Amino acid sequence: MPTIRAASASLRLRSLDARYGLLGALLIAPTVLVFCTVIVYPLVSAIYLGLFSIYTPTMEGEWVGLDNYRRLLASGEFWRSLANNLIWTAGTLTLQIVFGILVALMLHRNLVFRALARSLVLFPYFLSTVVAVLVWRWLFNDLYGVLNHLLLWAGIVDLPVDWLGSMPNAMISLIFVGAWKYFPFVVIAVLARLQAIPDELYEAASIDGAGAWARFTDVTLPQLRDVLIVVVLLRTIWDFKEFDLIYLLTGGGPIIGTQTLPLMVYKEAFALNQMGGASATAVLMMLIMLLFMSLYLSRARD
Amino acid sequence: MSTPARIARRFLFNVLAWAVVLVIAFPLLWMLLTSVKPSSELFVIPPRLLPGEITFEHYRRLLTETPFLTYLRNSAWLAAGTTLVVISIATLGAHSLVRFSYPGRERLARLVLFTYLLPSVVLIIPLYLLMAGLGLANTLTSLIIAYTTFALPYALWLLRSFMKAIPDDLESAALVDGANRMQAFVDVILPQALPGIISTAMFTAILAWNEYFYALVLVNNDAARPLTTGVINMLVTSFNIEWSLLMAASVMMSLPLIVVFAFLQRYLTRGFSAGAIKG
Amino acid sequence: MSGIRFENVSKRFGGVTAVDDLSLEIGSGEFVSILGPSGCGKTTLLRMLAGLERPTGGTISIGDRVVNELAPAQRNIAMVFQTYALYPHMTVAGNIEYPLRKRRVAKDERVRRVREAAAVLELEALLDRKPRELSGGQQQRVALGRALVRDPAVFLLDEPLSNLDAKLRTHMRAELIRLHRRIGRTMVYVTHDQLEAMTMSQRIAVLRDGRLQQFAPPRDIYARPGNDFVAGFIGTPSMNFLDGRLKGTGSGRTFRSGDLSLPLGMLPLTDEMPEPDRRVRLGIRPEHIHFDRQGEPARVNLVEPTGHETILVFDYRGNELVARMDGDIAIEAGDTVKLAFRAEKMRLFAAADGRRLNDDSTA
Repeated sequence: MPTIRAASASLRLRSLDARYGLLGALLIAPTVLVFCTVIVYPLVSAIYLGLFSIYTPTMEGEWVGLDNYRRLLASGEFWRSLANNLIWTAGTLTLQIVFGILVALMLHRNLVFRALARSLVLFPYFLSTVVAVLVWRWLFNDLYGVLNHLLLWAGIVDLPVDWLGSMPNAMISLIFVGAWKYFPFVVIAVLARLQAIPDELYEAASIDGAGAWARFTDVTLPQLRDVLIVVVLLRTIWDFKEFDLIYLLTGGGPIIGTQTLPLMVYKEAFALNQMGGASATAVLMMLIMLLFMSLYLSRARD
Repeated sequence: MSTPARIARRFLFNVLAWAVVLVIAFPLLWMLLTSVKPSSELFVIPPRLLPGEITFEHYRRLLTETPFLTYLRNSAWLAAGTTLVVISIATLGAHSLVRFSYPGRERLARLVLFTYLLPSVVLIIPLYLLMAGLGLANTLTSLIIAYTTFALPYALWLLRSFMKAIPDDLESAALVDGANRMQAFVDVILPQALPGIISTAMFTAILAWNEYFYALVLVNNDAARPLTTGVINMLVTSFNIEWSLLMAASVMMSLPLIVVFAFLQRYLTRGFSAGAIKG
Repeated sequence: MSGIRFENVSKRFGGVTAVDDLSLEIGSGEFVSILGPSGCGKTTLLRMLAGLERPTGGTISIGDRVVNELAPAQRNIAMVFQTYALYPHMTVAGNIEYPLRKRRVAKDERVRRVREAAAVLELEALLDRKPRELSGGQQQRVALGRALVRDPAVFLLDEPLSNLDAKLRTHMRAELIRLHRRIGRTMVYVTHDQLEAMTMSQRIAVLRDGRLQQFAPPRDIYARPGNDFVAGFIGTPSMNFLDGRLKGTGSGRTFRSGDLSLPLGMLPLTDEMPEPDRRVRLGIRPEHIHFDRQGEPARVNLVEPTGHETILVFDYRGNELVARMDGDIAIEAGDTVKLAFRAEKMRLFAAADGRRLNDDSTA
């Protein structure tokens, strides 16, 4: 106690800016504390654990150095999961962007009950992934699912489709459900940007003789460029680390047909009880993501 | 100029656009319809769009015959607890990041953004061990702690943008008028930031309400299970899957979101520009 | 009792110097304007005085107290911001009352003083409104009221009129002068508008790039500008400058620029010319140019009649020259006329540092 009082007494003598700085540090201190315990410590710990071979139930393990990484890079499963991860990310991201832009352009125009349309379109994004997956599993149901009936009735298929249990159907289904769940994010971003484009730009383009398509490519797209770059980076990061949707919809199956890296980490840690290997996988995955994260961080440097 | 051709084009666009909207919204519509159909109508081939009769039987069973209410209560506690903890810490933190200067401030702000992008699977193993070590395994507390890993960076980032929009002159005026920095914060900054704080709180509550992964790993008994893992548990443990029951649960889970969503509509774009709504 | 003193005050933001080794002494009860183009450091200077920024070097005193490390609340100052900075969630009364609440003034005393300030500024009818329901002029008065209510030793005003329309600005200028007379407090008024500075202040401090150029009463600033920057900055249209050399000595002294030669015999110089053939700038205000048969020929390039006067732009031996003449003058672009300058109004500046060279105590 005396030392604290002495410290505060000496602080009273220090400059106003120093006192302000101290107050600022005090206000951010809880944040820093929480960050250190629940983010920085686990992050460092994960990197450290990746150097051990640990059996989960007993938590006993030995130092294996970089063996986990060597084993991973030599394993087919890692590369398969990474490939799945990339296919899933690229596929669902492409659909999200394309649908997102189209629907945003649609909602930007004068539509009856536009506010309602907007809400209906955006809502899937706010839904729990659990709900989204339940609904889609019901739609995908092989016997009573609406989707199969629709396709049978329309004569597009002759037999019910096994949406989630076979390849490549499972991956395609995943990509579509992912697109349905996450494209509203693109809509929100693009819509906000569209509303900020001044009408004069379109009027000027019209006067210069630009048709509807030319107005889109020469005015709209360049204006959307910046926001789309940010959206693509963010969605790449988020889609890449997606766990819930894939785990709940296919569980990574059939076999490891749709297993991405986050699912592999989970399986190794909590099904195969290999905490060390799982940590190594997670760290590798983060290293891959760092590329996109640093790209985004450098862009977000407002 | 509204020539007949123009009117026809407009009409066509509206029909087309609404068709697209309805296709997008169909899964949700189907969820709602399934939840009020009698079980007997569920397995009619071909499926009927509108229910022959409307029943709330599934909702009744959900609330009385399943642990749904326990899950609901857990989820409510989780959302409220996470939001309270995160918003209190983040409001102070954001104020500090926006209006104070000290060494390392910019680096800290970037760290916030970085952690906001961090994958949960990297943190989960050490967190799992940490909770076990602290004796918090299978408790709501462990989940609240885990949820701060994504909710705190998110709330900080969002609040930072809201607070940046408050003019510096307001705080300066309060200081000149005789307030110290904390009084200026309470008297002037907080009231101005309130709408931003409320909307950030709601976004945070949604994140906690919808979270699945940490709940899956950290909680393994019904007493502390939230809705997300709880409802999935109902799916995996049941002998034959009762879709109407699950759809009723889905509707119930989504109801609070609809209320919050309606309130948040006008903050959506703001939430986006702040470094985006998390997903 | 509450003069203000800046002693060698500097302020650097990173690598940018906003205020550079500035010294200035403002008398108690004086109305002083800090005038300069945007980015000259005038707002920084005011914010340092208010305690919202800390100087990197030097000392600032209010009265006999060094205030460098005092929080704004401890300085007994009030400030009116360019943006008004009214608290949006408080009513007009709440805004005006806020400084009193922070100083723990008793409730009935607060009510009395708010009513008093409101009466002075004619805000009585608006006391229950929120700031966003007020017009710009009304918001401005509330901001003034918030400053006034506390009876501080020093008033700081940061471009308080710049967001008002022209008519209201003229009105508020008069109001502020009246207010200053009434309360007799020290007022420091930052502006980029020379008209405001010239009409309102007892003294003007002209700033450029964070450096003090001149600190003098308005009339002196205009008639005896300390250097060519002040000379060019004050007055519309600006003073004309001709670059040339000084030849000869004593009464035979002349200004030469190309083949132009002007006798300067009657201009007393502040210092003896150390080097011969010195490079100088000759300055002449537009109103000090007149037609003269013995003058130099000039071609009229542009005629801008404004009604009560006519602004003429000449080509004067390759230099552009702006003159202000009577409103009813009959002249057209393309005409050639002969021009002369009022000799005692010419100002001579050193080309090297812009310093004024002629002493015009006779003028």
